[in-house]
Parts: sequence; structure tokens; C-alpha cells
Amino acid sequence: MHTIHIKKGLRLNMAGTPAMETKTRKDLERLVVSAEPIPHIKTRLQVGEGDRVALGSVLFTDKRNPDIRFLSPGGGLVETIEYGPRRAIRRIVVKLDETEAEETFPALKTGESPEILGRDELVKRLTTGGVWPYIRSLPFRDFADPKTPPPAVVVLMDCLDLFHAPPEIYLNEREAVFETGLQALSTLAPVVSVVISAPAFAAIPDAIQQAVTHKVAGAYPADDPGVFVYKTRTAAEANTSWYIHGADVVLLGQFLTDGRFPTDRVVAVSSPDVKAHFHTRIGAPVSALVPNIEALENHRIIAGGVFRGHGVGPGAGVNYYDTAVTVLPEGNADEFFGFLRPGFRKPSQWRTFLSALNAGPFEMDTGLHGEERACINCGTCATVCPVDILPQFTMKSLVADEIEEALSHGLLDCVECGLCSYVCPSKVDLCEQLRHGRQRFYKEQAAS
Amino acid sequence: MRFIRNLFESQKKHFSKDGPLAWLAPLFNATETFFFLPGLVTKQRPHVRDSLDLKRFMSMVLVALVPPLLFGIYNTGYQASQAAGLSTAWLPVVLRGVEVVLPLIIVSYGVGFFWELLFASIRGHEISEGFLVTGLLFPLILPPTTPLWQAAIGISFGVVIGKEIFGGTGRNVFNPALTGRAFLFFAYPAQMSGDQVWVANLAAHGTDVVTGATPLAVSALSQAGKSMATVLNDAGFSFMRMFWGHLPGSVGGTSAFCCLLGAVFLIVVGVASYRIMLGGVIGVLATGGLLNLFAGPGAHPWYGLNPFYHLVMGGFAFGIVYMATDPVSAPGMQKSRWVYGFLIGMLTVLIRVFNPAYPEGVMMAILFMNLFAPLLDHVEIQLRLRQRIPNV
Repeated sequence: MHTIHIKKGLRLNMAGTPAMETKTRKDLERLVVSAEPIPHIKTRLQVGEGDRVALGSVLFTDKRNPDIRFLSPGGGLVETIEYGPRRAIRRIVVKLDETEAEETFPALKTGESPEILGRDELVKRLTTGGVWPYIRSLPFRDFADPKTPPPAVVVLMDCLDLFHAPPEIYLNEREAVFETGLQALSTLAPVVSVVISAPAFAAIPDAIQQAVTHKVAGAYPADDPGVFVYKTRTAAEANTSWYIHGADVVLLGQFLTDGRFPTDRVVAVSSPDVKAHFHTRIGAPVSALVPNIEALENHRIIAGGVFRGHGVGPGAGVNYYDTAVTVLPEGNADEFFGFLRPGFRKPSQWRTFLSALNAGPFEMDTGLHGEERACINCGTCATVCPVDILPQFTMKSLVADEIEEALSHGLLDCVECGLCSYVCPSKVDLCEQLRHGRQRFYKEQAAS
Repeated sequence: MRFIRNLFESQKKHFSKDGPLAWLAPLFNATETFFFLPGLVTKQRPHVRDSLDLKRFMSMVLVALVPPLLFGIYNTGYQASQAAGLSTAWLPVVLRGVEVVLPLIIVSYGVGFFWELLFASIRGHEISEGFLVTGLLFPLILPPTTPLWQAAIGISFGVVIGKEIFGGTGRNVFNPALTGRAFLFFAYPAQMSGDQVWVANLAAHGTDVVTGATPLAVSALSQAGKSMATVLNDAGFSFMRMFWGHLPGSVGGTSAFCCLLGAVFLIVVGVASYRIMLGGVIGVLATGGLLNLFAGPGAHPWYGLNPFYHLVMGGFAFGIVYMATDPVSAPGMQKSRWVYGFLIGMLTVLIRVFNPAYPEGVMMAILFMNLFAPLLDHVEIQLRLRQRIPNV
């Protein structure tokens, strides 16, 4: 087993770590899913309001590839469908029946390994079963294209973005299906790399430890597939590797084992009142996990962690990819002489605050803590970038529309971890600039 | 606090888009955000941000400038009092120093701020905090005898030509304070160099023009055959005196010790690049040491000067700590910063030694290297990209 040392990154000691106990929350009346946060998808809705759906019925597909299907996480009545800007599907609300109808898919017989299915049959099962989208491909993080075999599949066991369930929690009692999932992946790609952070490695069962190929030592975003590929690649081919998160490998294995659309999820919740892990199902409304969420004034609900998550309303649900819900206070209060305070409790990468003497944990909010200014070329962003991009120079070449130069700087290696934006004293949203540049390039490429 | 908040809230309407004072909105916003750090929030991921902003960043440089500023006020008063034969007791000296230095600072901030506001209003930008530093750096590198009108012209040139025509803070090629200083140096050589400008003239106290040579001027006049350290010592400039800075010179730039205090502070808080500072020191010592090899009878006495003297003479310490580390006009790459600092140190010594027309070299050295900073960055980036496995 190799150990990869990742020196750059950010160890943020934020308050609100969820407790290690796991609660169960499956007595739900409604499920809510959304297509809006799914990157790159061009949705084609397959249901209408008032339709009856079964667990595993198709809700929407991708126009670019109709084989990519997103299935209903529950059986019942499609109550409402809400749209966001540009008719993105924001919410599909399914009111659950007392006894839910279910679609069934072919399953493996007891003791059978997914390898005997062969690649084509396996791809067919995974796409019809709605679990294929969990496998995505670098560098644009779109759904993996079944027609082009990848050089490798990277399995990321951790999610170091604050806060997500560690592997020991989501693997609990699911070791067998996890291994089935891994076997399926090895049918799809010649190389399967299983990557885990050093502290998490010690806590997982021996059987899974055997499957681990790489340990990473480092702070967020050492868990990212892009960082792993950047650190291990020896040739440009590796850039198009596929990747999947460990918790999604569990879903893959579960699906192949029992032929049902898998909806079991472990969700880490960090809110002012609730700090715990929940055993729940895809589509569970966030209000079921965080009671009184509507009453939480001036707070932001984030599906995912604080670096990569996206803001959602109180009516949202745990979406297909989500494994965390974070509720942060909005930092929108003015602060009297804010820039002159000693700042013992202000988290900072710099030593300009007394917090340099405080190990934390720090209470954090969504405040920018300043106003946007022009880049002063301090170079701090480059000191945290895990894939050695020079964000300040790359940003400037993107602003000047020098896409070739940005690409040569490694724009496509960017893992969109958000650390450059986080540390910038001028509050320039570098990550957004790079993300925008990447998306533009991807669209251009797709069009040609 | 409530009262100030209400005051801003009640006056805000005048500066809104349709208000009568809309063109002064940058001034209003700058004042308001000085009192109240605005509660802006992130729009998308990442949802959290570091607590440091540019206001605090620049405030740290101001804090680091406090030792040279306070000592500068004292020293200016002391040198002037001594030359005028007045009492050198502590309090009157400080008061006389304030009398000389404060008008320079007020003019620098006032005139510079006018230009900042003008450009911010026309562009619809906010006023950038970078000016807080420029406005204080500029008077500290002036001779204490600088007429106020020249200070006004100098800071105007520095802010407008040195910064605003490039697009404002963050886009300027040269350090604005040094640009203004260089402009004055070339436009008004009589008031900016020579022996008669380095001690404030307390004309009100009935004295004539005061001569007070600086160590660099003394050195420039030294003749072959006599060690320069001896010449300096004879003139009363021992190494330690130059280190403490108790001698005639520009307002805030005489004391290497105060600059050292500022440097330590800036490095501890992480605001200025230690690479540039150390690079500069190494550059001076290496070049000075190299010149020592050519020292001997018949050679110019500069060659034989102990390189450590270069560190404490003139404005080198002030320049390398506060001017060269301006992140905007310095390179952004870490290795380039070493080279940049080193070359500043080297050029400072070379200009001092080989160009008798400019007794002080650090100003020209920094401006010259400002010009080369983008090239250094470019070379380092290209070398770095060669090692990268492409991903296109």
C-alpha cells in the first residue's frame, strides 16, 4: 500500500462536529429530490404532478444520454414539481404511500460475483437501476460515459469537507455489499484504486483494509479524486479516470445484491441544535433531520459541507449525492471596528489575529468578513492549492480570456475545493472564476 | 455605537444612486466601512471565508510603520533643534518634530485621498485600502525640509501616474510612494539632495539654512587611500549610530533598528514576504563582499567598505522592509521573490558604489526591479509548467 503525502490544503478546526452515534430516521411522509444541483445534466422530466410512482420509477433522465436515469426514491404520489431559474427542476415532492410499490431489477444470486455478468450486462444493470450516475469522470466531473473505458476508477473513502460521515460509520454492517460494489468496479476498469485517509484507515474493518490501495496523509481536500490523480499520474491518460465515493460504492453493491433501487443513506448533520449522523433514505426532507428548520431565522441550510455544498431552502431533501446537511448562521451583521478587533475567536490562516494562538474549534458563519477588492498578488491562494495551480495568475488569464494559458497552468486539474476563495484577503472568488472557465471550456468542447 | 450606526443610516439616502451626493458614495462607503465591517455573506460555495480582509492586511503595515514614524518625529525634531542650537530636551524636540512631520503627513494623506476619491467616483469603485499605506510611506521617505507644495505634487504624481492610470491598486506596476519620491528627486533635485535638505530648518526660531550631511553623502566625498569606515567615523557616523538612526536623513528612514522592529512584526503576522527582505539583505552582503575583493590601494574606498555598513546606511532598511515588500509591485511567485530581493540589494550597492550622482541607490533599485517583477514571475511560471503533466 502506498502513502501519499499532501502538504497543501487546509485544516480548519470548525465547531459543530457531528457525534459518532447514528440515529435512524425512516418514518417519513414525503420525499424531496432535485435535479438542480446535479452538474452538467440537461434534464428531461418523465413524470408530472399527480402521477403515481413506485420506488425505482424513472423521475427524470439526461437529454444528452437518455440511459442516464434518476429514479424515484419512494413509492407514492408526485405531489408537486417546482422549478428554479431556467426551468431547472428544483423540487419533486413524492407523498409516500402506506405500502410503497416497488420496481424490481435483476439481482445477483447468493454467492455470485458481479464479475460473471460481464461488462456490457453490468453497465446495463447499473444504468437501468439508476445507480450509474454515482460513477463520474474527471476532469469535468460529469457522469461516466459507459462507451469509453477509463484508465482507472478511483474510490474515495473519505469526504474531508466539513462535515461528512467517516467510512467506519457508513460501512457499518455493509461491508459485504461494499465489496460487491468494488468487484463491479473492477469489471468496469482495469485499475481500481481505493483511497482512504490515514486516520480513517485504522477504524475500518480488516476485510476492507485489505482492499485499500492508497493511504493519503493530508488536510482537506486530500480526499479529492483530482488531487489523487494529480499526485499519482505518470502520464496524461490518467486525467480521464473515473471516480466514485465510498458511500456510493455501498449503494452500487446494495443494488446488485438485492435488485432494488438503493435509498439507504448515512447523512451527517451539523446544525446549531442537532449534531449527529442519521441513518435515513434518499429524499428525506431536511426538516425531518433538523427539527424546527423553518424557525431557524438567519441561517443558511447547506446540502453538503461548507466548502463544496450548495445552499438549499428548508423544503429541500437529501438529494441523490448528498451525505451531509450543514446549517450555518448567516454572517450578515455589521461589526463595529471589525478590522481592529484582536480576533481571538476569528479563524484565519494568517497570524494577524490573536486566533493564531487559539487552536479552536471556531464557531463559523457565512460572512465574507470584508469587501471585495482587486487582487494584490499576495500569493496565498497558491500556498493552499492542492494541485499546484497558481490561482491568482490563472484567474487573471481567464479574465483576459487567455484560455490556452489558463489550461497550461492546469485549469483542468482544478478540483474546485474552494480553498483559494477561502483564504483570499481581497475576497476575490477565485474558485468561481476557475469553475466558470472550466465549464465554458467543457461546453465548447462538447459543442465541437 | 448605536449613535454612529443611526448617523450612517440617516445620511445614507443622500449618497444613494439618486441622491444629491451620489458622486461622493465611495467616500461615504469608505467612512462607513471604516466604522462597521459590513456584514456581506458568501453567495455560493465555499460558504465560509477567512477572517482577514484587505483593511486589516493594510492596517498591519500601518502598525509596522509606527516605530519608524515615532522615531522619525523625534529624530527630525532632535536634528533640527541641535542644528539650531535649541534645547534638546525630550518634549520640545518631539513637539518640533511634530511641527515638521505632521504637515507633511496631512498633505500626503489629504492630497492623495483627493485623487483616490476622484478616481473612485469616476470609476464607480470603492476606495482601496492600499492608499492608507502609500499615504504614510510617502512622507516618511521625504527630506524633512520638503516644501509642502512639493509633497503635494509628489504624492499626486505617485497616486495618479504611479497607480491610477494603470487601473488602481492591484494593477500598478510601480510602488506609488516611490514613484512620487522619484519624481520629486528628478524634478526638484535642489530640494531633494545635497547637504542642506536633511535637517529641518527651524526658520521660525531664527536660524539660517542648516547643513547636515548624511552618511551616504559623506561617503560619496571620501577620497582614495582612506578607509571609508574611518571617514564615516571621523564624521561621527559610527556603525551603531547608523543602526540606531540618530542622524540627519529622511523623515522616517534613518533608523535600521526601527525598520528591523517593523520587519519582525510584518514577518510574524505574515503580511510581508520574508523572502524579499532576506533576499535583499543577502544581495547587499554578497555584492558588498564581492566588491571587497577588489579593494586595495588606489581603488575607490567604497570597494573596501564592510558590507554590513550598506545595510544600515541610507534608506536601504526602510526600502527593503516597507517598499520592496509591497505585494502588488513585487513578484507573486516564491522563488522570484528571493531573486527580486537579492537583485534589489545588489543594485542598491552597485548604484551607491558606481554612480556618484545618486548617493542613495535603494529607491532606483526598487523601482527598477518593480519593472522586472512580471518578468521574474513569468520565467518562474514557465519553468514550473515544464514539470507539469499536461491536462487538456
